[in-house]
Amino acid sequence: MIVSAALCPAAPLLVRDLTGADEAARDLRQACLAAVAELTAGTPDVVAVVGAGDRTGAWNGAATLDLDRYAPGPVLANGQGRAAVQRPPGEPPAMAPGLPPALGVGAWLLGQVGRAGGRLLQAVGADEPPGRCAGIGAALADSADRVALLVMADGSARRGLKAPGYLDERSAGFDAQVVNAVREGRLDALLSVDPVLARELMAAGRPAWQVMAGALDGRKVSSEIRYCDDPFGVAYLVASLRVRADP
Amino acid sequence: MAEQSVLRLGSHGFGPSQLLVMAIVNRTPDSFFRPGDTWDEQTAMERVRRVIAEGADIIDIGGVPAAPGHEVDVREEIRRTAGFIAAVRADFPDVVISTDTWRHEVAREACAAGADLINDSWGGWDDKLAAVAAEAGAALVCSHAGNQLPRTRPHRVSYDDVVADVLRHTQLLADRAVAAGVDRARIVIDPAHDFGKNTWHSLEVTRRLSELTATGWPVLVSVSNKDFVGETLNVPLPDRLAGTLATTAVSAWQGARIFRAHHVVETRQVLDMVSAIRGDIPPARAVRGLA
Repeated sequence: MIVSAALCPAAPLLVRDLTGADEAARDLRQACLAAVAELTAGTPDVVAVVGAGDRTGAWNGAATLDLDRYAPGPVLANGQGRAAVQRPPGEPPAMAPGLPPALGVGAWLLGQVGRAGGRLLQAVGADEPPGRCAGIGAALADSADRVALLVMADGSARRGLKAPGYLDERSAGFDAQVVNAVREGRLDALLSVDPVLARELMAAGRPAWQVMAGALDGRKVSSEIRYCDDPFGVAYLVASLRVRADP
Repeated sequence: MAEQSVLRLGSHGFGPSQLLVMAIVNRTPDSFFRPGDTWDEQTAMERVRRVIAEGADIIDIGGVPAAPGHEVDVREEIRRTAGFIAAVRADFPDVVISTDTWRHEVAREACAAGADLINDSWGGWDDKLAAVAAEAGAALVCSHAGNQLPRTRPHRVSYDDVVADVLRHTQLLADRAVAAGVDRARIVIDPAHDFGKNTWHSLEVTRRLSELTATGWPVLVSVSNKDFVGETLNVPLPDRLAGTLATTAVSAWQGARIFRAHHVVETRQVLDMVSAIRGDIPPARAVRGLA
């Protein structure tokens, strides 16, 4: 059963080391860490991280994000600010090749708040239809007595002229509907988000939202929006979702 | 490791130690650096005249910005560039002219108008481009843009090894170009900094550029005022010259041969300095301690 849920963007820049000397997106990162800290505070049996990937599947719960894919070179390998000495060539990263970045970023957030064990990493295929996403969510909810759900999901990446996908005027209305559904605890509404429109708007979070809707099917939820902005042209939404005890 | 050999552009042959400045002339109202600066044809021609006087070897003429924005279709791109290329060719019979395009229809018209080199920054997205180069006897730039479609921005791109990916893709395109009939001496490879890459990736490509030059294909670098420079130094567009020139020097030292640039005078000086340090050219004037 889901005891709590949190919603965070799947942006690699949440990982502090990836943004260089400048702590870019500090407010966003702090909001995510606060949401994840609350999520794990209730000592759940398992934290299920869900995020979009190439295809649906479960990953080893100990898998972590391969930073070298995003920031190759000696800087991160040796730690910020230390002498840049080359790593031994060919040394394999202790990572999970192919781990969807959404799950890797989620795992990083959990690491930051000191949650090591009891993780379940669930990828959901980018093309998975809403009904199947909901089914995956229901299965996650049944995976343990006390499941905390960390949903790594973004809105449209087409929210401005400088956005990764350039401006699509439809993005503002699309994202607003998602934000309102989350804010008002109407998670069922997320099941009607159109996969085709979501894809056109580069809203990679669509399948993960729908997994969340399935996992919390029929439960009463109250939300706290911790962050809602698009400083880099991608809609970021950070929220804590508290499941109410009354049926 | 393959040796670098003579690069043929138009009727010219350039040896490995000749470092070439490719001056950017945009026939667009909305390119990222000084937008609209050479949108007007007369102003554009004045820039061509100036950059040649400043030491540019190649004039790179483009009609579509790299960033997403207003659609520029094939017809409009040809309208913006082909006539201008013909005018430059008429005024400067000897200069090497490059057409900055990913579209084979545009490349064909540009070559007919006098272009010697097809500069495709989008990684061979149009697979008919090489055939056009072969047919026109033109040179071709084979670049790496990840799997980006033309005019799209990288979004959370990642690589097992970005340099390996660049090597694999550019050599694949180069081999295909040879198979399509492009003269081996007229093929150039370009890692395409910022294209399908985040800043860390562009720095890694620069750090390991010698792996590209070791292929023997002449390497072009296009780094001028790009975002990876801006992000590395945390400076806005007008303040990226120093970072651009540092990257230029490091690339030249590792064997790059063509340098696409907005600032021709400064780029020429950096390249001459690197050539002199390497011992490929003498100092312009050395009297210190010698009198």
